[in-house]
Amino acid sequence: MSRLHSRKPFLAGAIVAAASLFASALPAQAVSEVGVTASSIKLGITLPMTDAASPGYNKIPGAMKAYFEYVNASGGVFGRKINLVVKDDMYVPTKAAANAKDLINRDKVFALIGALGTSSNKAIAAPAVQVKSKGVPSLFVNSGFSGFANPKVYPTYYSILPSYQMEAKIIAKYVAEKFAGKKIGLLYQNDDFGKDALAGFKTAGMKIDIKVPYAPLSQGTPNAPPGWIKKLQDGGAEVVILFGVSSATTAALGNAYAKNFKPQWILGSVGGDATTIASAKKIPVTFMTGAKGLSFAPAPSDTTDEYIKLFQEINTKYNKDSEKSFDNNIVAGMSSAFLAVQALIATGPNLTRKALMKTIDTKSATFANPFLTPLGFSSTAHVGATGYWIGTYDSTGALKKDGTSYLVYTTDSANAPVVVSNYVRPKLPAKGF
Amino acid sequence: MNTLIRKKLAAFVTVSLTAAMIAVVPSVAQAADPQCAVASGITQCAGATSDGALYTMMAPLNFNGTMLLWSHGLRPNIDIPVGIPGYGGYTVNGAAEWAPGLSDKDTTVMFSLLSQGYGLAGSGFSRQGVNVSQAVAANVELIGAFKKQFTKTTKVVAWGASLGTLITQKLAETHPGLVNSTALLCPATAPPTALTSYFGDFMWGFKTFFDPTIKGFGYSAGAAGVAEAKLDLFKFFTALGALQAGLLSGAWPATSSPAGKALEANLIPSRSALTLIALMAGVPLRSENVDGVSGPLGQELRYALGVAPAVAALQNAGTVGLAEILLMQDGENQTGGIVFDNTKTDYAARVDAERDIYTVAMSSGDAIDAMLNILAATPRVTASPAALAKMNTLIEIKGKVSHPTVMLTTESDQFTVAGAGQWMIDQYAQQSADEKAAAITAAKKSRLYVAPQNMLAAIWDKTADKYSKFTAAGSPDLTATIGDGTGHCKYSAKQILAVAKMAIGAAETNRLPNPALIATAARKVGLSYDKKFSVPTFKSLG
Repeated sequence: MSRLHSRKPFLAGAIVAAASLFASALPAQAVSEVGVTASSIKLGITLPMTDAASPGYNKIPGAMKAYFEYVNASGGVFGRKINLVVKDDMYVPTKAAANAKDLINRDKVFALIGALGTSSNKAIAAPAVQVKSKGVPSLFVNSGFSGFANPKVYPTYYSILPSYQMEAKIIAKYVAEKFAGKKIGLLYQNDDFGKDALAGFKTAGMKIDIKVPYAPLSQGTPNAPPGWIKKLQDGGAEVVILFGVSSATTAALGNAYAKNFKPQWILGSVGGDATTIASAKKIPVTFMTGAKGLSFAPAPSDTTDEYIKLFQEINTKYNKDSEKSFDNNIVAGMSSAFLAVQALIATGPNLTRKALMKTIDTKSATFANPFLTPLGFSSTAHVGATGYWIGTYDSTGALKKDGTSYLVYTTDSANAPVVVSNYVRPKLPAKGF
Repeated sequence: MNTLIRKKLAAFVTVSLTAAMIAVVPSVAQAADPQCAVASGITQCAGATSDGALYTMMAPLNFNGTMLLWSHGLRPNIDIPVGIPGYGGYTVNGAAEWAPGLSDKDTTVMFSLLSQGYGLAGSGFSRQGVNVSQAVAANVELIGAFKKQFTKTTKVVAWGASLGTLITQKLAETHPGLVNSTALLCPATAPPTALTSYFGDFMWGFKTFFDPTIKGFGYSAGAAGVAEAKLDLFKFFTALGALQAGLLSGAWPATSSPAGKALEANLIPSRSALTLIALMAGVPLRSENVDGVSGPLGQELRYALGVAPAVAALQNAGTVGLAEILLMQDGENQTGGIVFDNTKTDYAARVDAERDIYTVAMSSGDAIDAMLNILAATPRVTASPAALAKMNTLIEIKGKVSHPTVMLTTESDQFTVAGAGQWMIDQYAQQSADEKAAAITAAKKSRLYVAPQNMLAAIWDKTADKYSKFTAAGSPDLTATIGDGTGHCKYSAKQILAVAKMAIGAAETNRLPNPALIATAARKVGLSYDKKFSVPTFKSLG
């Protein structure tokens, strides 16, 4: 019997978390808000579901839907079932903006959730999309661009990923501790994504010996990746940090193998997704073996983690996607959905966009969540997770913690030092939401 | 409208109108009584104002007392050489235009309004080009002439398109007692410096990269300046043609500057520079046939990210470059000096918010920085303060709305950019806030609060999400039906009539229809009345 089934008898006699009790016991009230009825809440997501950038990311909506189905099967949030409308933007910012406009004006969603990509989320912020003018929450944007956490510029955006600046600072700290004296190379995407990382390395005072910027999409051209590797190899890089997308990781690792170039790789969180690398079928994931990687959620393979166990069970039972192998993308999708439900519950039955955002600004410290670092949401900063743990990829492409416990660092996007986190996250609610 | 009546009216117009106009054009620059004829139930008059501006007036025998005064858009003030796309072969033309559509020989709007009992009038103005002052003067005379001829006249709706909206707004601001409502189609309503910056920034960037021998600014006075402008037209369109030819290969025009050729040597395609120029000036990166999200089958991602912005910029660039040359030459000729100034413009800041969105099209960070560095190092254009001051007297408007005003703005208009409509909306928002504050203050004394009346209905022709078509060879099909909400003043007769009817109703009742009625009327013709919708204002306005 799966854990999902075994939980029910336990719940019958358990003291249920107050929030969960409210959520299922109180009837929904008549509210006048776009995308909300007495029996439903409509959310929308735009992200690459097809084309080159989609592998891996295209598993996120299925995971979100699975979690929402799980909640819906238990009565929803205050009797409201959550529906998710999914639109494919192929990673084209202008298409993401058009999709968001559609979601807001035609599908009339209550909120956006999980919109993916720095450029896409910048395009979505254009006035014509009306996210700001209509006060549409954009929950848990999948980008580490630090600017999205600034409510003065993006008042309705809520980041979920630690910022790229945080990530860079943490990598710098780790490199200083573990690879002192080594020659450092950096391969990075030459846009705001990479620039954010450069800012973080600069803040951390890290010396980078060889910098190799690459133009977005150039990883798909025949001549570019060998050139990257040549620069890094000729420069004598012993540790190479990769701040790019997974297709760039694939190109870099493949060309490095061909040149017998074997530095210590440190793969940034964006480019270290084994599922994406495997699905491209250009290199075996064994090429990732020994590389260091970062994550802010527990490892998908960590079945000792109560959140991961729940997510695995939900994925098995509710995920209707044909490709639903349990990995980082599934964890990411479910984590966003989980956090959204926590926010909806905490907002109460009188659900409005303003009320939801106020709740996240003021009560997120009490939200249950699977992350290993604190949430940083407040009225002045819409920061989600605030740190990373660093581990090592095994031969299957799974990121594993080094030792028996996660080595978690936390910091901010500014000048705060990087410190080892002693954060203890909230317990998983008994009902799973 | 009854087809038979329409056919009869059409026959009347094509025969008698032409004859009447030829008969009545005065040979001297002074007002003359119009000459009128009646046929098929319509009185039609032609005349000229005191400065020689030709005009036409029409009213049906069942004239209901409301007349619509039309102000046409920009007509070049110089002959355009054959071979220039779009306008080649044009000769300066002062023929009267009394309703929208007539320049395209579409009489739908005219006949519809006449059949409903409305009177129509419009001038050709005594000069073309930048002619706001002259046009306002002509319109003032024309209103008087109309009222004299058609004594039942009680209401005047002033309306216009493109440059005609500046004329209309200026008329309403300077002669508020002469009009009862206004309608602005594809508005050019903006501060003079915003307008000159839009065109000037584009041309300055274009010549910096693609042909530094284009003058663009600082034309000689008189005939020499006209000759320089004509030469510029050829140079501009030659370079534009080369850009089109090199769109996919990335080749730069042979006329490119040394800096441009250096970029080419570094494998930065010309389309990246064109995209950057469009972005920094505020030229829409969606165009009549480029939606920015589509691509040929199997190449959607790379095309949409890397090529489409440049194709849209290219499709829009012809209008922008042509207008820049004509407007600058004419503006400088009238003001006696340069009216564009970019000495303090930070082009890097202009593109900062969007460079990441279009990073692939501009070949990413280092390439963008390299191009911006070239712009930063290139000598700038300095305006003449005296010329700027004179330009303000010629075309400046306050943006004050004192009559019910219906405004129709196209989201992706490459000529009168949507920022102009947004500027009016923003101005009016401030005006409304001031009026509300004043009303509250007044209410404290009188103990009676009278809410200020809304005077501006901003209707949008929003750009469709997806409309691009591609040929079998994978090229954008520029012959396909254009996308909604693109192009300059590309409105259907139904859309124009919907706006006209709102303005007519407002003139007759001295208030705009209620918001629900406006929204319904707009929606029925594919437009949108959405108070929460906005677009970025002019780049130069920040």
